[in-house]
Amino acid sequence: MGDASEMTRGTLVYIGQRIVLITLTAVVVSSIVFIGVRQLPGTALISERDTNPATLQLLLHHYHLDLPWPQQYLIWITGLVHGDLGESLVNRGVQITPLLVREAQVSVTLGLAAVLITVVVGMGLGTLAAVKQNTWVDYAASTAAVMGYSVPSFVWAFVLILITVGGLYRWTGGMIYEDIGWGKLEQIPVPALALGLPYAAIVARLTRASMLDVIRQDYIRTAWAKGVHARRVVLRHALRNALIPVVSVLGPLVTAIITGSVVIEYLFGIPGLGQEFVTSILDRDYNVVIGVFTFYAALVGVANLIVDLVYPVLDPRIRYG
Amino acid sequence: MGHRSLLRSLALVLGTVSLVGSACGPGSTTSEKLAADQTLRFAIIDQPTSLDPAEVDSAVDITFLAEVFTGLYKFTNDLKIVPDGTTKLPDVSQDGKTWTFHLRQDMKFSNGDAITAKDWVYSWTRTLRKNRAYASNLYAISGAQDVANGKSTVVSGLSAPDDYTLVAKLDAPAGYWLSQLAMPTAALVLDQKVIDAAGDDKWTQQAETYIGSGPFKVTGYSAKQYIDFEPVKNWWGGDTGKLTKVHVDFHVDVTAQVQKFEAGGYDIVGMANSPAGPDDVLRYKADPAKSKLLTIYPGARATAVGFNFVNGPFASKPGTKSGDPTNSANGTGDPGLDGRRAFSLAIDRKQLADIACAHAITCQPATGGPIVKGFKGYLGENGDPWAKFDPQQAKQLLEKWDPTGTKRKGLEYRYNPSPSNDKRAQNLQAQWRQNLGVEVKLAPSDFPTLQRDRRAKNVVFGRQSWGIDYDHPQDWFDNLWNCSQAQVGRGNDEAYCNPDMDKLVENANTRSLDQALPDYIKAVKMVVNDVVWMTIDYGTQPYLVQSYVKGAGYNGLYDFSWLGIRMTQH
Repeated sequence: MGDASEMTRGTLVYIGQRIVLITLTAVVVSSIVFIGVRQLPGTALISERDTNPATLQLLLHHYHLDLPWPQQYLIWITGLVHGDLGESLVNRGVQITPLLVREAQVSVTLGLAAVLITVVVGMGLGTLAAVKQNTWVDYAASTAAVMGYSVPSFVWAFVLILITVGGLYRWTGGMIYEDIGWGKLEQIPVPALALGLPYAAIVARLTRASMLDVIRQDYIRTAWAKGVHARRVVLRHALRNALIPVVSVLGPLVTAIITGSVVIEYLFGIPGLGQEFVTSILDRDYNVVIGVFTFYAALVGVANLIVDLVYPVLDPRIRYG
Repeated sequence: MGHRSLLRSLALVLGTVSLVGSACGPGSTTSEKLAADQTLRFAIIDQPTSLDPAEVDSAVDITFLAEVFTGLYKFTNDLKIVPDGTTKLPDVSQDGKTWTFHLRQDMKFSNGDAITAKDWVYSWTRTLRKNRAYASNLYAISGAQDVANGKSTVVSGLSAPDDYTLVAKLDAPAGYWLSQLAMPTAALVLDQKVIDAAGDDKWTQQAETYIGSGPFKVTGYSAKQYIDFEPVKNWWGGDTGKLTKVHVDFHVDVTAQVQKFEAGGYDIVGMANSPAGPDDVLRYKADPAKSKLLTIYPGARATAVGFNFVNGPFASKPGTKSGDPTNSANGTGDPGLDGRRAFSLAIDRKQLADIACAHAITCQPATGGPIVKGFKGYLGENGDPWAKFDPQQAKQLLEKWDPTGTKRKGLEYRYNPSPSNDKRAQNLQAQWRQNLGVEVKLAPSDFPTLQRDRRAKNVVFGRQSWGIDYDHPQDWFDNLWNCSQAQVGRGNDEAYCNPDMDKLVENANTRSLDQALPDYIKAVKMVVNDVVWMTIDYGTQPYLVQSYVKGAGYNGLYDFSWLGIRMTQH
């Protein structure tokens, strides 16, 4: 009892420390970006048509862009403390905080689906390959894994778009096809697959190697010798221990999946943070760029924290606090 | 035929007529059977910069504003100007300076608020106060620029003698003003009550407060995601056509748009200036079945190479302050003229369009001057003598311009990269190398950087382009080539300043287009002969339209009104 409460307290302290660190990281990242974007040439307030210099001055004033950097920074940081990231420079009247909150929800949904695919497909394929080592199943799974991580997400995206949108529509006479966009449940799996496939392949390779190590251990041999059912041996005894090295790479993988959504969202017309990342930089929409980086920094931090909290569940030797 | 048979035939005919008749509306033909679902779905690669008519800045914005708001006049699908919020064309005084507009008395905003002359005064004053890209469409009114410059809050030349009469007094006669008023931008009418209640910068962000007086209203909007429209019930203008809903997705890549179009998810690709890419257009063109869904409309954009008149080896008056005259009598004393002409004559525009524009599908070679074919001010096929391909003469002029070979060294062609701009730039570079023996370095930079340098008059020569706002030559001269725009920071990036041309155009601007067109043509010829721009191609606008969609199209400037679009059974 005493041990359990100690562990809970220690974990809570650890979570608290990490949240403080995540907040600090987000602020530091956004401050660097704040300064960085002001080095970019050109301005969001420029258009093909002539802009009256007096009007341009009024616009600069409206967005505080006529003030010295330190003052702009002070205004921005005050807004940040109040949860107000300002207004888009390009799309007039659009408030950034609610926009990015909505887009982050979209990206998190897509990211979670991709992580799910990564874990389920990767571990499933890796386990199968290890259990059926040196059989055609192993060779097929290993070949698929090599293909999976050799081809980048955006290429998978193009291939999947070709197959699941126009292709499926033609082959099934319009009965089944991928409806590009966002808003319906059935619009999630295909982009999530494009995003998760390369990482699933990495997880499959790791799981296979780790499983091969574990199934040669004495306790597994003992389980086999005792006549324990194969499914129980593999899933309960072997896989759980084989997952520890796999989970250790999930942190960087989750980060890669979150940042990888930049291209996938753009190609699939998904209104998430990734798409915003691209368009805001191209449009010189400074306020949105800073907001997107801030959100990304926080998201990556939180995702890694969650992964870290999974470790002790799988390996009781790991404790925080 | 027996009696019963005759009656049966008559009944059948009557039944068919009544069935078809009930399915058809304005614009539809009697043979059409309409689909049960009259939802129009399409996507655009961007999203509107602003949904506020006073802040409108791009072709994307205009598409939606034209459906939601009303102006005094509007362009029909074939670009004729007809009354919209007025009962007739304006009464113009003999001196051309007083315009009286007779407003419709039955006009209402979509929330039911009546529209009177005061609403127009409010809307125009607000537009001028904001003074964004298209506020200049109202500059003709006396006192308008005082409001634009913040010197006054009241447009002295604008008044509402009664609820349904609007009077505008102009500083000078303006033959082009009706075209500016018909453009669905600055001159639209807004509901002050709604804007005041929701907030001047917030009213466009909620469907409930985004109120106009056009045939459609916004029913759903999520910034950077989508926008939904539905026809206004009991619209004051009458029939709102057949569409029951319009759904537009934002930020969808054109390749994905075409894929979704092929899967039946979109009805049109090409609306709101989001055309399919050259590869898809070529694919559709090559396929006999698919080609029936493709229509390539002449566009309203000219692409050119612009030459700097005050800086660099092509300058007419090197070192001249931007905004000061750069012309000289008959081209004498213009040390850059032969160079500009040589660079223009050295380009085979057919080859360029073939390579850069998917075998001349997404653009056409430009041989008739900067004003695009089909629009007023176009010089006709081969009307630009410096657009013909003549490498021999080009070489002679090159040597005359640069006998020592120093001017041609280190030339950089500036442009903003895109698949078609890259191909254009590479082809120009190859042709100058082959036909002139000049090595030009390509210097791509993103649009904001390029635009900043252009406005500072620092670009020696580079890509130029202009999309027509309305079919009147004044749109070109007042935005691109006059002396006031030649100042640093303004839109005449070449800093070309020809007071003779300005005088000619100023005079033409005061007359009706019929009377003024010969003078505009003279002015265009000045631009052409001085090779301010070497125009290389005119854009086209490809549209992919599902076979069951009728009434959709493009008139060179704007998408056809949604009022005529309908979905037939499929």
